[in-house]
Parts: sequence; C-alpha cells; structure tokens
Amino acid sequence: MKHSCLKNTQRVNELTSKQVNKLTSKQVNKLTSKQVNELTSKQVNERREALQMDASLSFTHQLVNLPTRHSSTCHLSLVNLSTCLLICLLLLAFSCEEDTVQTPQLQASINKESLTINESMIINFAGSDADNIVVYPGDDRQDYDLRDQSNTGLVVNKKLFTYSYQVPGVYKVVCLASTAGDKATNLQFDTCSFIVNVIDDETEIDRISCPRIINDEVFAEKHANDEWLMVLPQKVLYNNREQNISLSQRLRFYIQSDSTQISVNGNIYSATTAYNLSSPVDILVKSDFGTERPYKLYTLNYPRFSSFKLQGVDGKITLDAFDYSTCVVTVTLPQGTNVSSLAPEFTTNSPSDKVYIGNEEQTSGVSAVDFTKEVTYRLVSAVPDKPGMQAESTVVVKVAFQ
Amino acid sequence: MKQSCLTNTQRVNELTSKRVNERREAMQAGLTRHFSLVTRHLSLVTRHLVYLFTRQLVYLFTCLLVYSLAGCNDFLDKEVQGFSTDKNFYDTRYKLQAALDAAYDVLQMNLFNECEWRFGEACADDVWGADEGLESQMGQLVQFRFTPSNTWIRDRYAINYTGVHRANQVIANAHRVKLADNQYSSYRDIREILGQAKFLRAFFYFNLVKTYGGVPIRPEVETVDNLVIPRSTAEEVYACIEKDLREAAIMLRARFTGSDAGKADEGATVALLMKVLMYQATPGKKSDKWEEMLRLGEFFIDGRSMTYGEILKYDPEQEDWEDLRKRLWFKPLEQNSETDPYETADTPLNSLQTAYSLEYKDYTGKDIGYINQFYLAGEFCRGSVFEVVFKESADGSADDTNEGTSVYTSHYDVTSPYEPQIWCREEIIQALFGSSDPRRAFMLAHHGFAPDGETNENPPGTYMSLKWYTPLRERPQYDGDNGKNRRVMRYAEVVLMYAEALNECGFTARAWTELNKNKAMANTISGSAALYPAGGYGQMRDNIWLERRLELCFEWDRFFDLVRQKRAATVLKTFGENKANKRGYYFREGVNEVFPIPQREIDISNGVVTQNPGY
Repeated sequence: MKHSCLKNTQRVNELTSKQVNKLTSKQVNKLTSKQVNELTSKQVNERREALQMDASLSFTHQLVNLPTRHSSTCHLSLVNLSTCLLICLLLLAFSCEEDTVQTPQLQASINKESLTINESMIINFAGSDADNIVVYPGDDRQDYDLRDQSNTGLVVNKKLFTYSYQVPGVYKVVCLASTAGDKATNLQFDTCSFIVNVIDDETEIDRISCPRIINDEVFAEKHANDEWLMVLPQKVLYNNREQNISLSQRLRFYIQSDSTQISVNGNIYSATTAYNLSSPVDILVKSDFGTERPYKLYTLNYPRFSSFKLQGVDGKITLDAFDYSTCVVTVTLPQGTNVSSLAPEFTTNSPSDKVYIGNEEQTSGVSAVDFTKEVTYRLVSAVPDKPGMQAESTVVVKVAFQ
Repeated sequence: MKQSCLTNTQRVNELTSKRVNERREAMQAGLTRHFSLVTRHLSLVTRHLVYLFTRQLVYLFTCLLVYSLAGCNDFLDKEVQGFSTDKNFYDTRYKLQAALDAAYDVLQMNLFNECEWRFGEACADDVWGADEGLESQMGQLVQFRFTPSNTWIRDRYAINYTGVHRANQVIANAHRVKLADNQYSSYRDIREILGQAKFLRAFFYFNLVKTYGGVPIRPEVETVDNLVIPRSTAEEVYACIEKDLREAAIMLRARFTGSDAGKADEGATVALLMKVLMYQATPGKKSDKWEEMLRLGEFFIDGRSMTYGEILKYDPEQEDWEDLRKRLWFKPLEQNSETDPYETADTPLNSLQTAYSLEYKDYTGKDIGYINQFYLAGEFCRGSVFEVVFKESADGSADDTNEGTSVYTSHYDVTSPYEPQIWCREEIIQALFGSSDPRRAFMLAHHGFAPDGETNENPPGTYMSLKWYTPLRERPQYDGDNGKNRRVMRYAEVVLMYAEALNECGFTARAWTELNKNKAMANTISGSAALYPAGGYGQMRDNIWLERRLELCFEWDRFFDLVRQKRAATVLKTFGENKANKRGYYFREGVNEVFPIPQREIDISNGVVTQNPGY
C-alpha cells in the first residue's frame, strides 16, 4: 500500500510537472508577442501554481478515497488516512521545491555614450526573461547608488528605453532585470551599466529682460553681433501716479540651459542684483562645456520732452499708461491766439536726442509749425556709433484755448 | 444522424454567410480588421474541427467538405443584395449625416474624454490626482516619467485618429451625394454637414499636433497600398487645420440653435481658428499669426466685417472661385436661379457679434448666474461656443462606451465605486484666486454646500470645483450615463484670446479693455470692484494669463495653455518641487512640451514614423 502510494506520489509529481510544462508551453506558444508582454511571466507562474494545486488536489482526493474503497475496517482507514496525510505533506514539500526562479540574463545595447542636452539615449534590451526591467538614468533622484534614499528608476516596456538629459555631467546608467518567485520571494536579478557623458554647450541667450519696471517686464531687442538694446521708460504712469524708473535695474536672462554661467561686467550674475544700465553692460555666457560667448547690452530711455513751450506757455505732459513710447502734450493758450505758425521751444531729456516732424528735423525756437491741428512729433534717441540702435517716441501736441 | 448533419450544415452556412457580411465590412474598414477576421475565422475553424474529431469522424469529413466549399472565393465574392457598400453608402444627405454623427460620436467616447482631462488637467498644476504613483501608467504619465509605450499616450493618439478617420469618411464621400431636388437649401444642408466634418477633423488634428508635434496626415481615402504615412511637420499639420477651419467658417451658419444646438457652427470654427493661430505664435514675438488672430477677434467681438475671401486667404491663382464653390457644396452658378443668393469672395461672413455674450444668460436671454453656465440651464447659453453633447441614455446599460465618462463621476462623485480622480487644494486655490476673486466661491471644501444644498463629502483637505458638479435633479438615473454637456470652448476664452492678440500686436490699451470686460463680468458675482490695473506689455500679458487661468480653470486645458505660453517647464518644476511625490519636477524642458509618438506607431511603421527628440 505504502509502496503504491509512493508510486502514486511520484506519478503525481511526474504528471503534474509534465502537465504543467505541456500546458504552459502550449499556452506560451499560443500567445503572440504582444500578449506575452501583457501576460507577464509572473502570471504564467501563477497559472503554473494553480494548475499544480488542481492536479495535486484531485490526486489527493483519489488517494484519500482509495483505502476506504478497498478496506472495510475503521482502524485500517485511520492508518491509511494518516499515511495519506503524510503524503500530502510530502506533496506540499515537493511542490514547494518545484518553484525555482531562473536568474534573468540581461543584455543591453546603447546607441551612444556621449550625448548633448535633450538628445535621445536609446537602450535596447535582448535575451532576458525577466519579469521587470528597470533603468536608473543616474541623474537627479534617479540614481541607482542612492536607491535606498528614495531614488527610483523607470520601468521599461517593449525592451526599449529612451531618455534624454537636462543637466550635463557623467552619469552611470544602471539597467536592472529582475524575476521574483511566488509571493515576491527568491528575487533573482541581473544588472548592467553604462557610463554616459552628457555635454552642454549652450551659449545662446533667447531673451533678456528687466523684470521689475513697476509690475511690468520689459524685454530687450536683439540686434546683430550678439548686441542687445534695452529701452526703458524714464517715468511710468501707474495707478494714475507718475513714478520714476531708474537705470539701475535687475536683469533676467532666458537661456535654454540651467547649467550655463553668466557674468555681468566681470562679476557672476545674480538675479537680485540691480545693474547700472546707464553705460553698456558686458555679458559673458560660458557653457558648461567651456565655450564662452560675449554679449553686449545697451540701454536707452524712451526720449521725451523735458519741457515744451508755445509762446512762453508750458505744455502739460500726460504719459500713456500702456505704451511708454507715446505721450501727449497739451498747451493751453489764450483764446484767439493765432497758432498757424508758432516756433515751440523745447528741451529733450538727453541733449543728443533728435526731434522730427515726419522726417524733418526740428530746432527749438526756430522751426515753425502749424498748431491748428494736432501735431505729432517723433523723438529719436540713439546709441552713439551704433547705427540702427535707437529708441523712438511719439509725442502728440495739442493746443487748447482758455 | 442525417438531420443533425443537416443542422450542422445549416449552422455552418449561417455562420459563413454571417462571416461574409463581416468580411465585407472588414474590407471597408481596412486591412487591419480584415486580418483579425481571418485569424478569428481560422481559430473558429480549428476549434470546430477539434470538437468534431472527438465525436465522430463522419462529421469531420462532412464538415470539412462544407467548409472547403464555403471557403471558395466565388462564394464569398457574391454580391449581397440590399446591403450598403462604401460605393453606394453616401448617396443621400441622411447617410452623409449618419457618417458625420459617427465623427461626433468620438467626442462622446469615454476614452476620448478620459484622455482629455488626463492630459489637459491632470498633467498640470491646478490639481492633485488620485493616481500619481509610479506604478501605474497614469502615474508615470503625470510624473513625466513615462516610456513611449505608455498606454495613455497610445490611447490619446489612437482615439484622435479615429476621429480624423471618421471625419475623413464624410469629407471624402460628400461628392457622392445625389440631391433629390435643385433647391438652394438642399445644397446648404450638404455644405453644412461637410463644414462640420472639416471642423471636427481640424479639432482632432489640433489635439494631435498640440500633444505630439507634427503627426502623419492621413489621406482622405485610405488604401491598403499606403498604410504607413510618415510624419508631417507641425507647420504642415497646422496648415491643414487652418485650411479646414477657414473653409468651414464660410460653410456654416453663425450659430446652430433649437434642435440643431450642439453642432459645430461658424462661431465654434472662428474661435478654434483663433486658438490654432495662438498656439502657433510665440508670446513676445511679432508674427502674422497674432495679427490675424486680432483681425478675427475684431470680427468676432467688435463686429468688424470680414469677407469670405479674407478668412479663406483666397488666391484666385490657386483655385478658381467656381471650383471652390463646387468643392464646398455652394450651389453652382449655372444651377442658380434668380432668387438664390450667390456667394462671392467679397460676400461678408455672417456676423457673430450678437450671437454670444459674456453675460451669464441662457439662450433665451434669461439670467442664470455664473455656475449655471456649466449645468443644464446653461447648455448652449450665450457664453457657450462649443459643447460636446451628452444625453442620458434610455436604458442605463452599463457597457456603453459612448455616453461619456461623466465629469461628475470621475472628478467629483464619492459614491462607491467612484472616487474623485483629481481635486484641488487650499494652496492651489490661494495661488489661483487669491482672497478676493469672486470665482473662488465655486470651489467647494469638505462639507461645503453645493448650490442645491448637497454637501461635499469628499475627504477633508480636498476642494472640488463646482464646474465638475452635477446638481442632484440633473443627475442621470443610471451610473455611467452622462447628465450634462462638456463645455469645450466658451466666449470668455474668445475674449481673452482677443485681448492677448491685441497685447502682442502692441495695442495694450485695447487689450486691457477686453481683459477687464471679463473680470468686470466675474465681479458681478459678488459685487467686487477690483479690476486689473493699466500697465505695459509684460504686465498685461501676465494678467491675461492669470485671468485665463481663473476663468478657464478645471476645464481641461491648463497643461496645453502652459506649453504654448512657453513656460510649462518653469511652472511645473516649481509646482513639483514643493510636492512630496515631486509630480511636475521631472518635466524636461525642450522635451516634454510634446509627448512621444506611441512606440507602437514606430514599430509597425518600421521606423518610417520617427520619434520626437529626447525620447
């Protein structure tokens, strides 16, 4: 009896493992590659376990039933029962032993090991039967060596991993393939790594601004040869009050890379320092790779009349809250004054500023103008010896009568 | 025995004839479905054979014979009488309308709407999400730590192409329609169907181009010889979108009302065209896109007249006007009777100025208040430009996938088995509304009261937008049905787009007026008087962006808005730095502004479809 039982056990083992192998291999063969991805090997393991359990259970039932069928005494059946229980235990032990986890073999290839910022790094995986492949790109918060400090990797799908780096540096990319047994025990894994060098040679300034003109951010114009022109108002109308704007201002640079170093007039740039913009500012941009590129920033004020007189009467200057390049001058003259040909006396903020009506240059106290209608003056302020670098304002002069 | 054999044969015949029909459909649908059908066919045959083998060999031989007969080509090729084919389907207005309905259907699909909020809202900085862990596809998506195989990235791509494909069916087959009479209105009916299809195609392509950059432009008529299409550049895709919208604008009536409400009209088309132009322009850089947006804004809001030729950018050397008219289903000149209007390039577009308003009024002009704009009372209200129409289904069947995942059940509802997928938090509300903006009142805290008295039982610390709420009496009877329409574009956005275009073109003072129009309207909620101050370009731009965020918050557009403002990296990184799970921190500037082309597309095209840089 015992002998036959043992034999049975063997048969069970043989059969189940055979069945399982047959079934699983059949199932796996039937699956398309897509389905294989979906049905992870973990699920296959689970299935294997379920099948095993089914098989052993049905055989156990048979074994338990066998003695009762053949003998009629209670005593014998008790003995047989205990034997069977033993066999069950044995079965259990065997079935546990069955659960072996294969160590995954990781083969990976990388497209290039020297990259620029935002350039695609592509890693292809082959020859692995792992449940999971995880890649630690090695940059901020994704460093394999710091994985016990909450650094995490990225899960790979379809045996392909792509990534690109924001920050230049040398990174250790670690690929980790793992397979775990049932209930996440017996973890087997294989790793491989690459060293990639990410180079940042960005020296291009996209935009320069003064971010604090009251609540406004004023952007500089880009000119040829890495020269920029900032045009600032001298006064701003804000909440119906005129406020002076100094030429000492903070600067803001918009550059693609965060790793680029900027120095202003020889000192390292700080976002909170106010720079004196009354003379040209030298800006040096140094990429992380080491390339240096000089820029120059010129600043002009929008030209404006500091005074405007008609027949000795001062005009009232009204600023525009929206457009720093325009303003209105209103001169109030006595009723009946002939305004068809008057030569206004004016001064501009900077003596070098030029005043035009259309393209005709105007001289204070000399050029006579017809003020029966609104007159639009054009004021031009220019950077010395830099043709094309100029700021222009429009001033509308209106005459009112008392 | 014989009888049973006969029954089997009948069964087989039934099965095969059924399959013939299926096959015919498959041919229409394209090669993909055809293959799947063949596979299904084969597997069925195999199963059948195995089954029979175990019983009797006689069965097997008989059935083999039948099967081999059934498999003969001439049998399958036989014309089935009385069935529609792709050749004769589109011959009436009603059939073309059915095809258009199928294109609209995509807008109602669960998957479409899921992708809308997951990308447009959950990726951005107005909400926290229930699913932000790296172990899920959704978590990886919103953390910007996904692979190109991410299922949401794949699904959004696929569902929008489904829409493109369905719209293409209408556009490619409209010429097959045969009119029963020569009435002007008969031409107009077809024209309006075609125009809506063009709007929808533009809408789906716009979704694709803002998510993935340049994408393949599918041919209107797909053939099996040409299934792989390489990517076009973003500029080329935008050019196609613009062309569709420009043409749709002259084909559609100003506004669909009554039982036609919900169809895309001229208002929706011009609004979308403005948005498409805005996405192509860069803030701070002069561009003719800003200029044209301004021109469209003047037409839409200020009522400045605009001609067909102007919106089309019509060039007589490119296409003869009469040819264009025929292509777009304007009644041909030779058919025109004296009483029929004849549209030329100088015909003015239908005015939109009075069709919409910032006021919170329903379509009859009755005051409804701010939040009702998002409820039943506000469907097709004066401020609503385009909505996805949902109707509660009659039977409440649970498996329908085109009743729309209710905003309510995915964003707000706490009844099991739902849980809110996204919510807002105190600090976000503070950053958004400050303490004074009256729209803050429409954020509901834990135990807060909705307008109809229902309390918000979402967990403490979460805030729900009443835009997501569905009032009790408007709630569908069955789970999974959708009770209310989704507002896709609102007039407030048109006004703010106009303001932005004005500011970019140097008309800061006019921009300020438009901006404050919307703010002043919002102020009526609480009687507040706070308006934006006057200021220069940079300040005005920041204020317009702030007002956009305030007015359009939680309407599933924030992420794309940030990207087109060219500040997604700055905003999201700052947002993520302060969060425990760092969502947003991993956003990579210069890469994540567009998502990767789904890996599947690259694989099946054998690399003809290329990947975006950085992926």
